[in-house]
Amino acid sequence: MEYFLNQLINGICQGAIYALMAIGYSVVVGVVGMVTFTHGEVIMIGAFAAYYIFFWSGHHILIGLVASFLASWILGYFVYKVCYERFFNAPRHVSLLLTIGFSMLIKNLAQIVFGPNQKPMLDIIQPKFFHLGYVQISQLQIVIMATVVIMATLLSLVFNNTKFGIMLKAVSQDKTASYLVGIDVKRIAMLGNSLGCGLGGIAGLLLAIYYQTIQATMGGALGMKAFASSVLGGLTDVRFSALGGLCIGIIENLGITVTTASYRDIFAFSFLILVLIFRPQGFASKIGAKV
Amino acid sequence: MTPLFEAKGICKYFGGLKAVEQVDMVIREGDIFGIIGPNGAGKTTFFNACSGIDRPTKGQVFLNGEEITRFSSELIAKKGMARTFQNIKLFKYMSVLENIKIGFHNQLKTTLFDSILHTKRYKEDEKFATEMGLNIINRVGLGDYKETLAGNLPYGIQRKVEIARALALKPKILLLDEPAAGMNPVETQSLMHFIKDLNQDGYTIAVIEHDMKFVMNSCNKILVLNFGHKISEGCPSEVQNDAKVIEAYFGKSGAMGGAHADR
Amino acid sequence: MTEQRSEKKLNTLRSSLESLQLWVRHNRGWLLAAAFVLLCIIPFFTTRSYVLGVLCRIFLYSILAGALNTINGYSGQFCLGIAGFFAIGAYSEAILSTAAKMNFWIILPIAGLITAVISLLVALPTLKMQGIYLAIVTLGFSEIVRLLALNWTPLTGGPMGIKGIPVPTFFGIAIRTSKHFYYLYLVMAIIFIFTTSRVIKSRIGRAWMSIREDELASKSLGVFTSRYKALNFMYGAFWAGIAGAIYAPYVRFIDSTYFTLDEGWNILSMMIIGGQGTLIGPIVGSVIVNYLTELLRPIGQWRMVAFALLIIIMMWSRPQGLAGTSSSIIAAKKDRRLRRRFATKQEACNDTAV
Repeated sequence: MEYFLNQLINGICQGAIYALMAIGYSVVVGVVGMVTFTHGEVIMIGAFAAYYIFFWSGHHILIGLVASFLASWILGYFVYKVCYERFFNAPRHVSLLLTIGFSMLIKNLAQIVFGPNQKPMLDIIQPKFFHLGYVQISQLQIVIMATVVIMATLLSLVFNNTKFGIMLKAVSQDKTASYLVGIDVKRIAMLGNSLGCGLGGIAGLLLAIYYQTIQATMGGALGMKAFASSVLGGLTDVRFSALGGLCIGIIENLGITVTTASYRDIFAFSFLILVLIFRPQGFASKIGAKV
Repeated sequence: MTPLFEAKGICKYFGGLKAVEQVDMVIREGDIFGIIGPNGAGKTTFFNACSGIDRPTKGQVFLNGEEITRFSSELIAKKGMARTFQNIKLFKYMSVLENIKIGFHNQLKTTLFDSILHTKRYKEDEKFATEMGLNIINRVGLGDYKETLAGNLPYGIQRKVEIARALALKPKILLLDEPAAGMNPVETQSLMHFIKDLNQDGYTIAVIEHDMKFVMNSCNKILVLNFGHKISEGCPSEVQNDAKVIEAYFGKSGAMGGAHADR
Repeated sequence: MTEQRSEKKLNTLRSSLESLQLWVRHNRGWLLAAAFVLLCIIPFFTTRSYVLGVLCRIFLYSILAGALNTINGYSGQFCLGIAGFFAIGAYSEAILSTAAKMNFWIILPIAGLITAVISLLVALPTLKMQGIYLAIVTLGFSEIVRLLALNWTPLTGGPMGIKGIPVPTFFGIAIRTSKHFYYLYLVMAIIFIFTTSRVIKSRIGRAWMSIREDELASKSLGVFTSRYKALNFMYGAFWAGIAGAIYAPYVRFIDSTYFTLDEGWNILSMMIIGGQGTLIGPIVGSVIVNYLTELLRPIGQWRMVAFALLIIIMMWSRPQGLAGTSSSIIAAKKDRRLRRRFATKQEACNDTAV
């Protein structure tokens, strides 16, 4: 029983990270209006940015947060320039294939620059454990979950209380209408995209310190998970996407108790396919983006 | 005699919005049937519900006595109902002839193996498609454009091509959704004659239109919708003088004289 | 000002490509005959198995990229999972030849059919799906195939794969050397292109293209789009399975690592760079990508960077690919250019007349 509860805690922590990945993804898809394959690489770059900044200037997590956020923000800018800017009115497959190409580019450049092997991460948070009855939770897990909650709250504040946030929501809902009321749609799309990517970068940092290892090829699977979580939120509903991420994290960890890694992946893919077939909008009431 | 096309009690609701409410329509063979009404009256929604693009929330649709309410649009096309669209859905990058050949799809029988082995069936099918296609093109007067990419044609010609393509289905009834939209008076006249000629050739036609001159001069029966309801029905002179119709278009103090001057 | 100049340069490039396309189309007969003769006699000029091996790969991937192109380029369905079908074909051949000891030539069509039937499993539930959702399902399917191949040890040998795949024999001659496989692959590629070209030029191909251009319009003309999409999927899967079935005895050993997502991206790049919606596009893509793979081999990973850049450049300048069809929405042309051009001077004069 306590093993189960501990796995549940692990699942919630992992789920929190997935939730952050999904939130970032939903923001991007919502504001740009197109689905992307690049989010995995964005997360990966965040992880690597944090890794290197920890080498050069101390181990404080806040430095890592800033570095990963900025690195992914900047990468997001390039994603926007290459894959989205000129293609808002083009057929969907064009930008989709561009994001595939771009993610290929970043993935392979990363393997060249950083090397293909795993890199161990330093201990940023001191390993300390708290006990609640049978259950054990580490300081690291608390920090991670707290970070996600804070980020989600900040995002919510931005969306509802700042002019920028409201413009983001407007552009997500209807670009033409936003344009007609004077919003610089392209600029907001660019900023929103970078914001979503920045959140992805922070998720990368959290993954790095949680698993204490990073690898240039980590993007692929992560991008899939971000997408899958986001699907559960109808692609653009941030709250349901976060819920989706949480669910996936929990199920993944509970699944460890039952079967091997490969079969977990088979079930994960099969589950995603079933959702796409039978309830493509996930928890939400409808799909928010043009698929 | 069973009417060619019949719609009974068609309703289309979108959540709480009643776009079409209890509309009946009977079209007899040889009619040119007009559906008119102010913008937003639900004409296209009604059309869509009758042609398989959308399912009506309530009501039934019959073609030649057979109920086609829940049929898919491809099945309805096969049963003999062809339609055109308000915003012209031609295959822009295919030539006019190729566009029309698609219309012959169900009349051809080539299977995968026929196509690979170039059997007699394949050869006959291709001959049929090309010959019949050119037939329609010449009948309709599009001979100059047969190899032109559909997207390169002037708007008026594109409309004709779309109608020609629908003719390839050998339809029992032809549904035209605002065929005169975006046309100048010269083009509209020409289209009117074209449609009347088609009717002479034996095609039953249903038209949604805004252009009053067009409708009053071509149709022998008219249905008027407003806010999703049928407010009048009958031959052009009856409808023209129906107070409800005048009110719908011009408000309570309007006169039908204004209808003749178009946009 | 510089934007106008680069626009001009791009346009001259585009028009030269278009004139090249027209020239090729015009002289098609001669070119094909010449190419065929050339390809038949190449093995007499070089017996270096390395060169023949590269040419074998080019032929093989012409079929794979061609199969993917039939699905993506001709019917417009977004499939990213061709590696999965490749794997099913290869494993079918490997299993049937090693365990059931069947004759290669009997296995070949069976492997294709097995792959086609399994593809139906993917196609049927997804007929109403669009765009990325379909892409992800096909991607997920490809991964599931790989993972099953990796884990289903009793059937597929698991991580140890299947070894000792027997060599096929043709009227007593064992097909063992690069030269033998060269001819086998050449013949299969020719059969693929010939068959596909015939299917495309029939009402089936027209139906597929109408689905690609405007599915709703297609339906309203009586095309049962679901049936044709499924048929299209099965056709592409069949040929990918055939490619797998001729691949297995070439490498004599297969395991799941041959059919990763990277393999899928590889084939996708060929289609994107070479061209979609035409028969020659995938061939051009196979030639370019495989040639570059060999040329850039010394720089290792940078090769993949080069392909990624090529994809990006291609989607920026010519979304249909080098030899792809300009007569389709795949070409993503800006509408105003299409409107302004009139086919005949008469039309230009009589713009508003009917």
